Amino acid sequence: MSANPMPSTAQTHKKKRDLFAVLYWILAVGVFTFLFAPIVVIVIYSFNDGRLLGAWQGFGFKAYHRAVTDQTIRDAVKISLISGVFASLLATTLGTIGGVLLARTRSKWALILTGLLAITLVTPEIIDAVSILPWFVTLGTDAQLLLFNNGLVRLVIVHTSVALATVTFMVQARMAGMDPAIEEAASDLYASPWNRFRQVTLPMARPSIMAGALMAFTLSLDNTVVSSFVALPGYTSWPVYLFGTVRTGMRPEVAAVSALMLILTLGALALVAVVLKRSGDGDLATTLAAS
Amino acid sequence: MSPVKQRKLRLSSAWLSFPIWAWLLFFIFIPLGMVAWYSFGYKPGLFSPVSNSQLSFDRYREATSGTFVKTFWNTLEIGLLGTALCILIGVPFAYWMAVKARPEWRGLLVAMVLVPYWTSFLVRTIGWQIILAPHGFLSNFLQDIHLINGPIEVLYTRAAVQLGVVYNYLPLMILPMYVAFERTDAAQREAARDLGAGRLKAFFSVTLPDALPGLLAGSLLVFIPLMGDYITPSVLGGARGNMVGQMLAQQFESAQNWALGAAMAFILMGFIIVTVLLVGVCFLTLRAGIRWTRRLDLEGVV
Repeated sequence: MSANPMPSTAQTHKKKRDLFAVLYWILAVGVFTFLFAPIVVIVIYSFNDGRLLGAWQGFGFKAYHRAVTDQTIRDAVKISLISGVFASLLATTLGTIGGVLLARTRSKWALILTGLLAITLVTPEIIDAVSILPWFVTLGTDAQLLLFNNGLVRLVIVHTSVALATVTFMVQARMAGMDPAIEEAASDLYASPWNRFRQVTLPMARPSIMAGALMAFTLSLDNTVVSSFVALPGYTSWPVYLFGTVRTGMRPEVAAVSALMLILTLGALALVAVVLKRSGDGDLATTLAAS
Repeated sequence: MSPVKQRKLRLSSAWLSFPIWAWLLFFIFIPLGMVAWYSFGYKPGLFSPVSNSQLSFDRYREATSGTFVKTFWNTLEIGLLGTALCILIGVPFAYWMAVKARPEWRGLLVAMVLVPYWTSFLVRTIGWQIILAPHGFLSNFLQDIHLINGPIEVLYTRAAVQLGVVYNYLPLMILPMYVAFERTDAAQREAARDLGAGRLKAFFSVTLPDALPGLLAGSLLVFIPLMGDYITPSVLGGARGNMVGQMLAQQFESAQNWALGAAMAFILMGFIIVTVLLVGVCFLTLRAGIRWTRRLDLEGVV
């Protein structure tokens, strides 16, 4: 080949392939830089020792110290975690039942349920927010159901609603890939419906239930729009507090808490990924990306 | 299964589905219905947000003749441009992830797209506020290397909102496109190349039509929440980057005119539902078109 002065077609192909490979690398590096830029910035600025978040005054851990000692911030994070746990439990319970039903029944009701859940998915959050607020006022003030005047109850309800469709569709997707004959076999072997559900259906759906619960928890931790609408004094969740400081001026403390919350979210993700891998149920990325 | 047993199963499943139905109705659809009902009412006085003693379409008329229309077009432009940019960046990137990158890296790459997506939406947007600040580090750096002469003036403009929405919704384009590309057939691509198609031709006539459902799903996943976005324009937009979400929120919060706000909410909702239906129709037409123009006449086989 070296004797040939003209480049062979294989060589031109190779050159072209190299060019494309370089282009792909530029694209990949560019997109990942873009995706991570603001997160890296928040983490770096959480070590800002100044009084204002955006004005860098030198490296230090003052923001972390102030964040963990600030009572308002501590309360906000506490409210977020409590409402996240409750909303995740509720959404996962409802979503598991819904997902199994949707995967196992073919009636017009199942279709309608799918349609309604799909509508909740495409409804912009701001519309959820402006519709649930008057309803809470109606229930709590006009109908005197005092339960709905409790800020925590309100947060748990709206966070459950936000996560419900996601969990349901995740469980449904998993169960649709499982052979119904296994559950029928359990019934034929005289398992009661409850035992069949607990001992056969639930273990089959487990990866999606865990991924769904985690998803519901993060959706709850992140929920800002609906939460700020329904929030009541004394029950300010962390994102609502953070959103409030955007208008009044942010301090480095908020970046410190955000960085800690980021570690919490990623830790939860990693935990579920490990558990899924151990139980041999496939990896988290595919479970999440496929839903 | 015996009919009795089947009946029993069905009854138990009807009973089981009660909680989810109850939740959907009581906490999502009745509230939506109430807001729909408010949209036909009016604001009776300074201290009352809504009354339905007289029903009319006046609030819809009021909404479609005021500044709402201008803001709506503004939002639509941001939404369409944002979706187009997400396609432009997300499609080749997802193709690289699913087809070109080494298979053993794919899990890691998906995780690296999921991490920003799972980070708080609000926190990410605040990150951009720091980056784009006129006296922030990026602005100072660009001035130091004399790339620009004054501080960057992007924050609190429409450009900042545009950047913010592309950033916030890009993973929603990448992930479904990745799944779609991963399911396409490498053998078909190779066949197309062997038959003389170039790189781009093979992509546009073989791979992309296969991944069409993913593209449409991704576009809707980006476009729909983008149209109702409230956080991004609030954090990055200021007065010049207003979007409809903020405008209808104002009617419920500061203006206390629930009737007008409700009408705005349902104009937005109606627009979104029509868009979803239109995209569905486009998809079916496109697919039928592709199938029609590429009919295979296997005469001997039939």
